Amino acid sequence: MKLSQDVLLGLFFVVFGVVSVSIAMSYPFGTSGRMGPGYFPVIISSLLVLTGLLVLFRAQLVQPEMLPAIRWKPLLLVPGAVVVFGLAVETLGLPLAILLLTILSATTSIKFHIGWKAVAGSLAFAALCSVIFIELLGLPIPIVGNWLRVLGF
Amino acid sequence: MDIFNGLLLGFSTATTLSNFAYCFAGVLLGTAVGVLPGLGPIATISMLLPFTFGLPVDTALIMLAGIFYGSQYGGSTTAILMNLPGEASSVVTTLDGHQMAKQGKAGRALAAAAIGSFFAGTVGTLFIVIAAPLLASLALTFGPAEYFSLIVLGLITSMVLTSGSLLTAFGMALFGIILGMIGTDINSGAARFTFGSPYLLDGLDFVVVATGIFGLGDVLINLENERLRVVGVAPVSSLFPTAEDWRRMTGPILRGTGIGVLLGVLPGAGVLLASFSAYALEKKISKRPEEFGKGAIEGVAAPEAANNAAAQTCFIPMLTLGLPGTATMALMIGALVVQGVQPGPEILSQQPALFWGLVVSMWIGNLMLLFLNLPLVGMWAKLISVPYHFLFPMICVFMAIGVYSINNSVFDVYMMALFGVLGYFFKRMGAEPAPLILAMILGPMAEEYLRRTLLISHGDASVFFTSPLSLGTLVVAALLLLSIVSPRFRKVREEGLQEVD
Repeated sequence: MKLSQDVLLGLFFVVFGVVSVSIAMSYPFGTSGRMGPGYFPVIISSLLVLTGLLVLFRAQLVQPEMLPAIRWKPLLLVPGAVVVFGLAVETLGLPLAILLLTILSATTSIKFHIGWKAVAGSLAFAALCSVIFIELLGLPIPIVGNWLRVLGF
Repeated sequence: MDIFNGLLLGFSTATTLSNFAYCFAGVLLGTAVGVLPGLGPIATISMLLPFTFGLPVDTALIMLAGIFYGSQYGGSTTAILMNLPGEASSVVTTLDGHQMAKQGKAGRALAAAAIGSFFAGTVGTLFIVIAAPLLASLALTFGPAEYFSLIVLGLITSMVLTSGSLLTAFGMALFGIILGMIGTDINSGAARFTFGSPYLLDGLDFVVVATGIFGLGDVLINLENERLRVVGVAPVSSLFPTAEDWRRMTGPILRGTGIGVLLGVLPGAGVLLASFSAYALEKKISKRPEEFGKGAIEGVAAPEAANNAAAQTCFIPMLTLGLPGTATMALMIGALVVQGVQPGPEILSQQPALFWGLVVSMWIGNLMLLFLNLPLVGMWAKLISVPYHFLFPMICVFMAIGVYSINNSVFDVYMMALFGVLGYFFKRMGAEPAPLILAMILGPMAEEYLRRTLLISHGDASVFFTSPLSLGTLVVAALLLLSIVSPRFRKVREEGLQEVD
């Protein structure tokens, strides 16, 4: 199915706005003189719903621009690799987390091929980053994560 | 404290060995990352943020500022050599700069950009020295109504000056305000939009959102166009401008500086507006307008001077009012808050060493850039030609480490991944994220000032129109909105901004 830019954007604004209005309604609204925590969110979210509807309306009026085809592989894998980094950084430690992120994200490139140069390069990069960020800059990130420490490293 | 003593204090702060060294490191790193194609100042700053953690506040701020204008310089180098603007305000530089590079005059174009930027930076810094204390003392008299109107003006300017439709930009700004409201409401203590998660009680970290949308989002966009990326770096020839070049670029640099200094103070997208206006002005008054777009040195010198002057003076509203004028300045505020500094009118009286040290180091940093950029241009050219499939995994690593180390929180890393995907879709839907970023920082401020204003006036909104300053600000904002409806301005805006994408 092909969606136009405006339809998708309008839907996003409307859905996000409606959810946000309904949440904001549960906060005390207050009066203009004494704004409650719900006052500003309700107004802003309602405006967002309205804007979203106008964007949808505009999509009906003018010849909309179609959404270009999406390459799903990098779009899913690169953020996925970032999530893997998040999972690994405290459990496995920084060097391994960097290695995972580098290799996983690199596979999404159309020019990716595995070779000893790429492996050596990512190993060296992981080591270098660990030295710079932990030893030189003193950031409190574990070199060896808690899972590995349990195993006796 | 008068200006002279302030400058003395600034020099003694900025020239301590460690501050000097970190200024140099910031400028060098900022340029090195800024020249990498597809990385604008926002992505550069957020990637390099962890390098400033653990430093004393003044050193950290000096280094951050160094990174900021280093990345600006780096961006123009890429614009000239590769025809790839790193951010909207260097789009104009590509027009004539890359043409010059194609004609074998890359060195002279780079020199014109560097000299123009240095001169503009010097004037811009001087302007900060004079104007910031004045504005800070004026700002102390501002009430909440004035602040609220200034914020409205800033948001409207940023919407008018983004490419794409105004309606889309308005929606993005509203979305940004809602994101900014996530967390504990400072007034009532109510937890808003937290979904019961303890991680969201302190709100979404602004740097995390900016890194996700601008950094990771751009990586995703670039990966999509990987096949289309042509890596062609123009060779760099003689760096010395000829006598003819000097003669032709003096006027444009002076005029560009003037425009940049004034427009940079404006809330909204002052830097972008400055480089476009400077280019348009030179084209208009030039005796050879037909040369513009075909490699006129005026078309490089003027926007680069304007761009850099505005980049300096946009620190003024940030430092004196605590109001960011651009998305990049919003990120700088985010970085300052991480350091425990709340920018505002008090910064000048309470932390004079911080303020004056920063101002002086700005000038020193610009001087360093002049001497760093031209001799090292060969090295930058090599960096630019590193293929993207080697670069982007490293970019991802730096962003992930940077985001993690803000709060040592894995949750922030996941949030960055989420906003990366969102940033990608915004680009694909033709929605420019700059208003969102600015609104995320300005939104909660707007709420707080609105609440205070209405509390004082007992719910009477007419105070916004009875205070002359607030009224004036709102009138300017309304005029800006009206101007976009006028077909003539609309045409100019579309022409000016269309190439940004």
